[in-house]
Amino acid sequence: MHFKKLPVLKIEHINKDYFVLGVRDKELTQKIKPGHFFQVKDPASRIPLLPRPFSVYKVDNDELEFLVKIIGEATMKLSHLSTGQDIQLLGPLGNGFPLVSGKKVLLASGGIGFAPMPFLEHKLKEAGNEVHFYHGGRSSNDVFCDSVENCTDDGTFGHTGFVTEYVEKYLDSTHIDIVYACGPEPMMKTLTIMCSKRDIPIYVSMERVMACGVGACCGCVIKIKENDSIVYKKVCNDGPVFYGAEVVWDA
Amino acid sequence: MHKCEIEFGKMKWKNPVTVASGTFGLEYADLFDLSQLGALTTKTITPLPKEGNEPQRIVETEAGLLNSIGLQNPGLDEFIRTDLPQYRKFHTNLIVSVSASSIKEFINMIEKLNVQSGVDAYEINVSCPNVENEGIAFGTDPEVVFELTSQLRKATEKTLIIKLTPNVTLITDIAVQAERAGADGLAMINTLYGMAVEVRTKRPKLHSIIGGYSGPAIKPIALQNVYKVAQAVSIPILAMGGITNSDDALEFIIAGASAVAVGTYNFVNPLCTLEIIKGIEDYCVRNDMKYQDLIGSIQTKG
Repeated sequence: MHFKKLPVLKIEHINKDYFVLGVRDKELTQKIKPGHFFQVKDPASRIPLLPRPFSVYKVDNDELEFLVKIIGEATMKLSHLSTGQDIQLLGPLGNGFPLVSGKKVLLASGGIGFAPMPFLEHKLKEAGNEVHFYHGGRSSNDVFCDSVENCTDDGTFGHTGFVTEYVEKYLDSTHIDIVYACGPEPMMKTLTIMCSKRDIPIYVSMERVMACGVGACCGCVIKIKENDSIVYKKVCNDGPVFYGAEVVWDA
Repeated sequence: MHKCEIEFGKMKWKNPVTVASGTFGLEYADLFDLSQLGALTTKTITPLPKEGNEPQRIVETEAGLLNSIGLQNPGLDEFIRTDLPQYRKFHTNLIVSVSASSIKEFINMIEKLNVQSGVDAYEINVSCPNVENEGIAFGTDPEVVFELTSQLRKATEKTLIIKLTPNVTLITDIAVQAERAGADGLAMINTLYGMAVEVRTKRPKLHSIIGGYSGPAIKPIALQNVYKVAQAVSIPILAMGGITNSDDALEFIIAGASAVAVGTYNFVNPLCTLEIIKGIEDYCVRNDMKYQDLIGSIQTKG
């Protein structure tokens, strides 16, 4: 884990809701695993106070990118940064996705849950896995790449309907060894139920409001089934990736 | 370079900066050598493990943070077994923060910790707003604070720091009783009661509805509490409440604090304590004054 202030290398606006933020740092990129995140903040801005957790979107040699959705004041301020201005980063943080090799793998994401997937896909393919990737969004505005199976609620891009419908059809027609998911909780819950019925392991990347990002404050806990009891686990450093069947959904 | 060494109770600090309980732990040891701090303060430990409150536990508001963690901790035995050996590796003072639901439980905890090496002081947390039947219930009654402090004074020779809540009418009454009962120092302030509501759903944002409020927004409130108490007692004050940089820290020291702790701002900049140490030292050099002379040097007349 490192705490750094780095000049912004790239700010690329995808549309009114999303942008890509890039920095260059060899020390960081060497340590990043798929599913890791960073606590990111505009150091010049005192309000909002806390940094925001962003999954690592892409790693290319010494360059590191985040896909960010503009949700509130913090992300809006970050979107207004220019190249050369400093951003503050703490990371890499979290456990990351457990990787496999030589398997048939399915990735499923929804909305900004797309963020950790391209780097995960790259590493899985590098390890000799066969990867199928489904992504869902409300509209074409929430689609980031046309080389995956895209689904939109309003049919403005790719298949019409929820990503879960298309994943289910795919699981019924094709053997899959493992599923990785990131997106809205109802989506990940549905996928977990689907996978449980078919005895397919699924790993989900959870999201919670965080303060420290390192496990010190215990602010971001979720309920996890452990042995015969239910315990609190910290999304920031016990996760953000959890085994889907162990998550207490709707808690 | 002026070294801002201080004595706090029976401890000698290499500089007057520590961290506020529950905001900073061994997790940060990756980032810098924690021995650089004047002291380390642990998360509050209770006699038995505590799972903490139901989420949602934190909400950010304008210039502050609402929390209702509920003292999640592994319990005293597990702390002694797992965390304490890790803390011993750092060459600085260790303040163990403790909370319990009766005076007897407090004494039992102190007796167990007394025999452990590497514990320099106790912060008696009688001011946490986020747990029932312990915490703040003790810290709001001057007579109870006197009785608890007296009993703990008999139970230990180590530095005894009573952590005060601002959620009372007369904080000086409580501070005076703690001093009269033998406390070596005071830590102040703990969080203020606070609340936030989600307008769309009309639901409280915290599961526990009301929580503890911290961060830059509370600094003026903390500062006036420290100033008032510093006028009323002669034991040292460890001040906390919205400190983000060395100027914030200096305000508290000038108002009467002997040392300062950073809480919420560790989440924003985990290296800010180091910047604050340097800033205080630089201030003493610039003004050619000893740190000791800075404490309580506020000019209120003329």
